[in-house]
Amino acid sequence: MKISARFLLVFALVAAATIFALIQGRTRALRSGGGAEGQARTAWGAPDLQGIWNTNTFVPLERPTQYGTRGTMTEEEHAKALADLQDRNKRPGRDSRDIGGKPGQGTEKDVARAYNEFWFGDKPTKLSYRTSMVTDPPDGRIPPLTPEAAKRIADKREFLAALLQGTSGGRPGPISPRRNDPSPDYNLDRINRSDGPEDRGGPERCFGDGVPVVLGTGTFGGVMQLVQSPDSVSIYYDVGQGSGYSWVIPITNRPHLPANVRLYRGDPVGRWEGDMLVVDVTNFSDETNFHGSRENLHVVLRLKRDNANTLSVQFTAEDPTTWTKPWTATQELEKTDEKTTLVLEGGCHEGNYGLTGLLINTRAAEKAFREGKGPDPATQDNATGGGDN
Amino acid sequence: MEARSFWRGAFLAIGVVAIAFAVSSTHMTGQSSARDARMPGGKPNLNGIWQAMNGANWDLLAHTVRPAVSQPGVYANHPVLAAPVLALGSVGLVPAGAGVVEGNEIPYKPEAAAKKRDNAEHWLDRDPEVRCYMPGIPRAMYMPYPFQITQSPTKIQMVFAYANASRTVFLEEAPKPPADKWMGHSVGHWEDDTLVVHVTNFNDRTWLSRSGDFHSDALDVVERFTPITPDALRYEVTLTDPNVYTRPWKMSMVLYRQLEENTTLMDFRCLEFVEEPFLGHLRKNQLVKHWEGDTIVLDVTRRIPEGDKKYER
Repeated sequence: MKISARFLLVFALVAAATIFALIQGRTRALRSGGGAEGQARTAWGAPDLQGIWNTNTFVPLERPTQYGTRGTMTEEEHAKALADLQDRNKRPGRDSRDIGGKPGQGTEKDVARAYNEFWFGDKPTKLSYRTSMVTDPPDGRIPPLTPEAAKRIADKREFLAALLQGTSGGRPGPISPRRNDPSPDYNLDRINRSDGPEDRGGPERCFGDGVPVVLGTGTFGGVMQLVQSPDSVSIYYDVGQGSGYSWVIPITNRPHLPANVRLYRGDPVGRWEGDMLVVDVTNFSDETNFHGSRENLHVVLRLKRDNANTLSVQFTAEDPTTWTKPWTATQELEKTDEKTTLVLEGGCHEGNYGLTGLLINTRAAEKAFREGKGPDPATQDNATGGGDN
Repeated sequence: MEARSFWRGAFLAIGVVAIAFAVSSTHMTGQSSARDARMPGGKPNLNGIWQAMNGANWDLLAHTVRPAVSQPGVYANHPVLAAPVLALGSVGLVPAGAGVVEGNEIPYKPEAAAKKRDNAEHWLDRDPEVRCYMPGIPRAMYMPYPFQITQSPTKIQMVFAYANASRTVFLEEAPKPPADKWMGHSVGHWEDDTLVVHVTNFNDRTWLSRSGDFHSDALDVVERFTPITPDALRYEVTLTDPNVYTRPWKMSMVLYRQLEENTTLMDFRCLEFVEEPFLGHLRKNQLVKHWEGDTIVLDVTRRIPEGDKKYER
């Protein structure tokens, strides 16, 4: 068989063009993640994670012990759990005037509950078959605390108890000698003292949510809006009572910031692994508390679009000074209609008359006590009200 | 002859493949180098971290160096540094600026002009920036802090280092907000290479500068972002507010891209730091010992350095 030179040349060019196209495709896949067929993609070829995402299907973070190491419920278990959820939704919640089974009306706790149920909106009505968001360890529960963390948390608990001592919400006894002590940690809890802004919890100071965010279910659960470009992923979490925030994840191979730089929401560094956005977050500050973990928290966030309407958000949390081993949880978010859903700006700090009021009122109560017109504020419980407690 | 042609073809193929690989490899090294000037689809690529480099946040109009807070000096037109910034020396000065307002005049109605002057006199007590409040638009665009743009075909998200403020520019249909917003509601479209953004639904709480410039909740803003180079944007903004100004007026300036390797947006988290100036008087035990009621009285201690004393004898 005779092969003409022209044929060979054409063959070589076609081959070259094919290889070129293949390499371009591979390059694009490498740049953006590459991977599964049918994955929604941006114009630049990256997996498209954009949209407004939330969830109306309830999954507990930690697994109720009855399920053992089973990640999903049986039909029968699901029917029962759903009935329990619906039953729980019928309870008066914060609107209950009973506190701990006793009439609460007019008590300090009744006053301290502040908001009634109206503000919490619709409750979740759908229940997942998943028994927990936590998938690792296999029992679906956050691993045990290290002895060091257990002591840290017990110390804080004792401090909280000391400030409540002798009030209606605390153990009996005189006003604690620890009443004027500084908090053993950077305080983020609701403590029974208002000497200054630092005595109030993070939410009352409008600190905003930390990282990672676990969205709640129902009206009050929050939504996340994700906007994406070739070099960054910008998330806005509209959560809580104006405690939402913006978080920009750079897609980069830069190292983390120097260890002395501590940021409230850490230093996120993102990269694509296949169709998954992997975000490594370190450099946290001691001003957030994620299930007991503070500045030593290390989070690896993994975002992946399971299908057109589902965004899987998985995080692994690690902190050898807090937990005996790392743990992983997954939340599946549903896409909402962007023509009818709008994320709203927080504005917590801008409208925070509450913090001012808490301090003013406490100073006024102290003055009234000095003038013999009221009780010693140190004997009042302003910390344990609200909720079903 | 035929064998030579075969090898010629083969070498050509290998050469083309090698060049193709080399070209494509440069795209694989990540986003910090070689950012494309345009997005797929042809729109200018605004992705990155930007910052204005003018004194507009201090004063929108042309101005010379002056104390950030002043008290009368010997000469009426030469004020000196006053208590809140006195110890800062040259760090307490407002840098000179050529101004960003077209015609160097903001067309305030007479009563609004009086309010602007009053605002300027009570700057520290009234400027929402001093309280770490969201800055509004356009002020967020020219504050002396960076902001990051994440640009997609349907939304452009801008996140500002200052106070974690942010805005979404909707390029597709979005619902109207149910209430006024500090950062307004931004709807944009492209006119050739210019991003045009119409911003409405403002509240009346934000300012335009540290010099007391203000607006009402009737403010209507039209912004135009036009690339001059891949790393510089002409930013033009027209403000209309019949409650405050006699006519629409326009600012124009340049926004610059941060070109440092590995630049990253770090929050300017001012929240905790404004508790002492605004809630300090409500502490049980004062940190600053000079609150008189709800008025903070600042005694400034500044010791003359030892080395300077010999010249003062």
